[in-house]
Amino acid sequence: MRSRGWLAIAGVVVLGVALSLLLQERYHHRVLTLVFLWAAMGLSWNIISGYAGQISFGHQVFFGIGAYVTVLLVVKAGLTPWIGMAVAMAAAVLAAVLIGLPTFRLAGIYFGLATLAYPLIFRIVMDWLGYQEVAVPMVRDRPGWFMQFTDPRSFDLLALAVLAATLVLSRAIETSRLGYRLRAVKENEQAAEAMGVDAFRSKMAAHMLSAAPAAVVGAVYVHAILFIVTPEAVFGLLVISQTLVVSLVGGTGTLWGPLIGAAVMVPVSEVLDSTVGDRLPGIQGVVYGAALMLITLYAPEGLYWRVRQAWQARAARGALLSRGEIAAPAEAAAAAGPGATVLLDVRGVSKSFLGLQALADVSFEVREREILGVIGPNGAGKTTLFNVLNGFLIPDAGDVRLGGEIVTGLRPSALCRRGVGRTFQVVRTFPRLTVLENVMVGAFVRTGGVEPARGIARAALVQVGLADRAGALPAGLTTLDLRLMELARCLATSPRLVLLDEPLAGLSGDGVAVMIAVIRGVRARGATVVIIEHTLQALLRLADRLVVLDQGRRLADGAPEAVTREPAVIEAYLGQRWLARMGSPAC
Amino acid sequence: MLTIDTLTVSYGGLRALAQVSLEVGEGEFVTIVGPNGSGKTTLLKAVSGTVPAEGGRVRYRGRDLGSLRASERAALGIAHVPEGRRVFPSLTVRENLDLGSYRRAARAGRAEALETVLALFPILKSRRAQLAGSLSGGEQQMLALGRGLMAQPELLLLDEPSQGLGPRIVEQIFETIDRIRRQRRLTILLVEQRVVEALELCDRGYVLETGRVVLDGPRQALLADARVQRAYLGA
Amino acid sequence: MPWAELVQYVATGLLVGGVYALMSIGLALIFGVMRVVNFAQGDFMMLGMYLTYFYAVAGAIDPLLGAVLTIPPFFVLGWLVHRGLLARVTGGGDPQRQMDAQLILTLGLSLVITNAATMILTPTPRGIRTAYATRAFALGPVLLNQARSYAFAMALVLAVAVYVFLTRTDAGKALRAAADDPEAAAYQAIDVRAMHGLAFGTGIALVAAAGGLLAAYYPIEPNVAGNFIVLMFVAVVLGGLGSIPGAFVGGLVIGLVQSLTLLVLPFQLQNTGVFIAFLLVLYLRPQGLFGRRARTV
Repeated sequence: MRSRGWLAIAGVVVLGVALSLLLQERYHHRVLTLVFLWAAMGLSWNIISGYAGQISFGHQVFFGIGAYVTVLLVVKAGLTPWIGMAVAMAAAVLAAVLIGLPTFRLAGIYFGLATLAYPLIFRIVMDWLGYQEVAVPMVRDRPGWFMQFTDPRSFDLLALAVLAATLVLSRAIETSRLGYRLRAVKENEQAAEAMGVDAFRSKMAAHMLSAAPAAVVGAVYVHAILFIVTPEAVFGLLVISQTLVVSLVGGTGTLWGPLIGAAVMVPVSEVLDSTVGDRLPGIQGVVYGAALMLITLYAPEGLYWRVRQAWQARAARGALLSRGEIAAPAEAAAAAGPGATVLLDVRGVSKSFLGLQALADVSFEVREREILGVIGPNGAGKTTLFNVLNGFLIPDAGDVRLGGEIVTGLRPSALCRRGVGRTFQVVRTFPRLTVLENVMVGAFVRTGGVEPARGIARAALVQVGLADRAGALPAGLTTLDLRLMELARCLATSPRLVLLDEPLAGLSGDGVAVMIAVIRGVRARGATVVIIEHTLQALLRLADRLVVLDQGRRLADGAPEAVTREPAVIEAYLGQRWLARMGSPAC
Repeated sequence: MLTIDTLTVSYGGLRALAQVSLEVGEGEFVTIVGPNGSGKTTLLKAVSGTVPAEGGRVRYRGRDLGSLRASERAALGIAHVPEGRRVFPSLTVRENLDLGSYRRAARAGRAEALETVLALFPILKSRRAQLAGSLSGGEQQMLALGRGLMAQPELLLLDEPSQGLGPRIVEQIFETIDRIRRQRRLTILLVEQRVVEALELCDRGYVLETGRVVLDGPRQALLADARVQRAYLGA
Repeated sequence: MPWAELVQYVATGLLVGGVYALMSIGLALIFGVMRVVNFAQGDFMMLGMYLTYFYAVAGAIDPLLGAVLTIPPFFVLGWLVHRGLLARVTGGGDPQRQMDAQLILTLGLSLVITNAATMILTPTPRGIRTAYATRAFALGPVLLNQARSYAFAMALVLAVAVYVFLTRTDAGKALRAAADDPEAAAYQAIDVRAMHGLAFGTGIALVAAAGGLLAAYYPIEPNVAGNFIVLMFVAVVLGGLGSIPGAFVGGLVIGLVQSLTLLVLPFQLQNTGVFIAFLLVLYLRPQGLFGRRARTV
C-alpha cells in the first residue's frame, strides 16, 4: 500500500517526459514548463501551509531569494547557476530559520499578517541595493553550463526534475514521523503538545524544508521564463497568488493537490493570456482571483479532497461493527491495589487569572497505581489544576513533582515524554487522520519509526477495545468510541500518570460500564489515574480516594463514602442553608 | 406559557438532555436545580435558541419555537440572562441597559424601564458611565439582570445568577429577584446550583441529573426531600 | 536639525495620517465585528477614487463633496458583497478555518477587482484638478498643502460622524455589542448576521470616502491599492485589532512614521519605516495600543 505512492510519482514523471517529447510548439513547452514549476512551488508551500497548517502569505520570499542569489552569483562571480542554486537553497533555508524564529510565536491571524511583511521588505531592500533590474547575461560558450538552453525541451525536463524532487521530498515527509506530527499540530496544536509533539520544532522543520524547493523553483524560473529579475516579478503579489491558487484549487495537505491545481489552472490562464491578454491586460489576475473565490465558496478543501470524499462516502457504508473484546490485563487482580510510593506530589499550587484566584494553595499526593477522583462544584478549579499538571499553565506558586522530580513549568510535550498523559473534556481529535493514525501520533513519543509506531498504536486500540475501528475517521464515531480513541492515543505514549478530564460525562449506563472497565484495566497495567468527574455515582464505584476542590481550595481528601458525608463538602455543593436544614446524615 | 416536550439535545457530541419535559405556567416562578453537568444551562439555551433541539419541542404560548433563531425568540419577549453574566465589556453600563430594550416592542417603554431598573439597582445608577468590563462580578450580575428587565419581557430566563459570586452578593441578588417577582408577576424560569436559595423563591421546582428530570414538585415538598442531595453527591 | 523642518514633516505626516485614519477605521470596524481581515479593502478604496473622479468629470463635483457622495453606493455594494460572498463562507464551523477561508476569499476578490479595473479602466493614471491642490496655507514657518488640509478636515468630520453613529444610535451600539459578544447580543434580539452586513457596508463606504478624499491630491490608477493596504493593516494592528479609536490613532501614527522616514530615506523607501513598525508591533505587542480585552466571563 505504501509503495503505491512512489509508483504514482514515477508515473507522473513518465507522463511528464512523454508530454515533453510529444509536444512540438515552443509555446506548448513553455506552458508545460510553467505547469511543472508552479506545481513544485505549490508543493513547497504545501509543506508549511498544508501539512503544518501555518498559512503563509509570504512564501514567495524564498522564490525571490532563489532567483536573486542565483542570478547575482552569475553576474558578479560568474558562478554557474547549477552551483549557485545550491547556495540559494542554503540562503533560503537560513531565511526560513530567521523568519520562523520570531514569527511562529504569533498565533492565528497575526502569523498570516506577519508573513505579508517579509516579501515587501525584500522588495524594498532590493530596490535600495540598486537591483531593480538584473538581467541574466547571455552566454554563448557552453550555454548549458549556465542553464541557458536553446531547446525548450531541456527546460521542460529541468522543471520536471525539480517537480520530481519536490514530490519525493513531500512524500518522504508525508510518510515520516515528522509528517504525522505536522498533521497533528495542524489539526489541533494543543492536543498535539499533550501527545508529546514539540510544535515549535515541528513547524520550524517544515518551514526550512519548504524553503529549499521554493528557492530552486525561483532559480529555474528566472532562467527559463523571466530572464530579467525585478523585485516585483519575484517578490510580488502575483507569485503568491499563483502559488495559492494552484494549491487551494487542487487541495492542500496532499501531494496531488498542487499537481492537479497546476495542471488545471496554469494552462487555462496561459491560454487566456495569450489569446486575449493584449486586449484585456490583467486577465490572468482576474482568473486567479475568481478561482480563489469560487474554490473558497464551493470547495474550500480543494478538488482532490472533494472528489475523494465523495468516493469514500460511498465505500464507507459498512454495517455497524460490534465492539471488540477489551483485552484482559496480563496480571489481573495482583497489581490492582495502589502501591506505597508517591508518584505525583502537588505542593502549594496557586494560580490566578485577571484577578480571579483559580487555585489557592492546593496540595495533595497520588500514590502509584491509585485511582484518584478530583471533584468539586462548578468553577472549583479542577480543569485549571489539570492544565497545571499537564503543562498548559504555569502556576504562580507551588511545585509539582513527578516521581520525585520537579516538573513545574515544563511544556506539555516535555511532560508527555516524562510520562504524563491526558484526555480532554471535549475530545480533541485530529479529524482528517484515521483512528489508527490519531493513536500513532501518541506512539511517536516512544519511537521514531512509522512501523513500530503502528504496532504500538494497534496494541493500544486493542487495549481499549477499538481494534476494529482502526481505519475509520473520527467523524463517524460515537462519543464513547471517541473517548476510547483519545484514551488509546494517550496510552500509546506509555504514560505513568493518566489525567482523565470528565471521561464519563454524557455517556449512557452501558457506556459508563465500558469506560470503567477500561480505566480499571489501565490501572491494572501499572499506570496511575487521576479523574475529574461530575457524575459522582459512577466515580464512587471507581475511585480509591477523592479530593474535593471548592473555589480553588482543597476542601477534603479521603475515601469516597467519608468525603461525600463531610459537612463542608455538602455545603459546597448544595449551599449552607441546605446543610442547615438537612444536617449531615448519620454515619 | 412555556411547554418543553420530550426535549433531547446533543451538544459537542454529548447527550446533554434526554427526553426532558416540563412546564411553566403564566406568572409562575419555576426553578431547576441540579449538579454541574446535569444539563441545566443547555436547557435554557434550547429555550432561547442558541442550541438546536435534536428531538422534542419547545412551545411558547402554544407556538413551536423550533424554526426561530435566537434573536427572533428574544424579539418575542423571552429574555435570557446568560450564565456568566456576559455583559458587553466595551460598552458603558448605560449603553448595556439601552441595548436591553433593543427589541422593537420594548423601545417605547425604554425610559420608564430604565427608571425602574436604576431604582432596583442603585449601584448601577452611580456607575452608569463606566465601562461594563470594569465592574465587579456582583455589579455585572446586576447589570445583566437589569439588561434583561429592560426588555420588558414576558418570560425571564435566569441562568445560574449566583455563579462565581460571594455569599453576601448572592443574597442580595436573590433578594432582588424576589422583589422583581413581587412587583410585576413576571414568568420566571430560574436555573441554579444553590438549592435552597433557588427553591425558596419558586412556586415549583424540578431536579435535573445527567440530562433527565429525576424529581419535581411544589416548593415545600422539594425542600424537605433528601433525595435532592443524592442527585448532587451520589449518596 | 532646524526645528521648522521637523515640524513641517510632522505636520504633513499628520495631515496625511488623517486620511489613513479614515481608511483604517473601515478595516477595524470590519475586523472588530466580523473577525474578517479584508484584503480587498484597498481595492474598494481605489473604486471610490474612480467614482469620485467620475463625479468630478461628469458633474464638476469637487472631490471633497464627491467623497461624501461615494458613501451611499458603496454602503450598498459592501452590504451586497457580504451577503453574496462572505456570509457564505463558514469554514465548516471551525473559527480558524473560517478566518483563513475569508482571508483567501478577500484576497481573490482583491485580485479580481484590481485586474478588472486595469482591463476596463486602463492603467493610465488620472487626476482631478482642483484650484487648491497646488496652494498651501502658511502657518508660521510651516506650509500646509490646501488639498491635504481640506482632506484632513473632511476625514475628521467623517470620523466624528462614525463615532456619533457608534455611540449614540441603537444600531451603532448593537454593532459594538455584536463585536463584543455575539451570543449575548442575540439574547437582546440583535440580528448578528445583519450586523455583519451593516459593518461590512459601513467599512467599505468609509474606505471609499477616504479614497475620494485622497483623489483630491493623489493620482488615480488601478494598482493604487497596493500602496495603501499595508499602511491600513499596520495602522489597525498598531491600534489593536478591532479597536476603532485605536485604528484612528494608528492611522495618524503611520502617517507620521511615513513622513518622518523621509528625513533619512529617499521617497521610494518611505514605507520602510512603516514595515519596521509593523514587525516591531507584531513581536513586542501584538495586541496593539488599545487591544481588545478578553471576553468577560
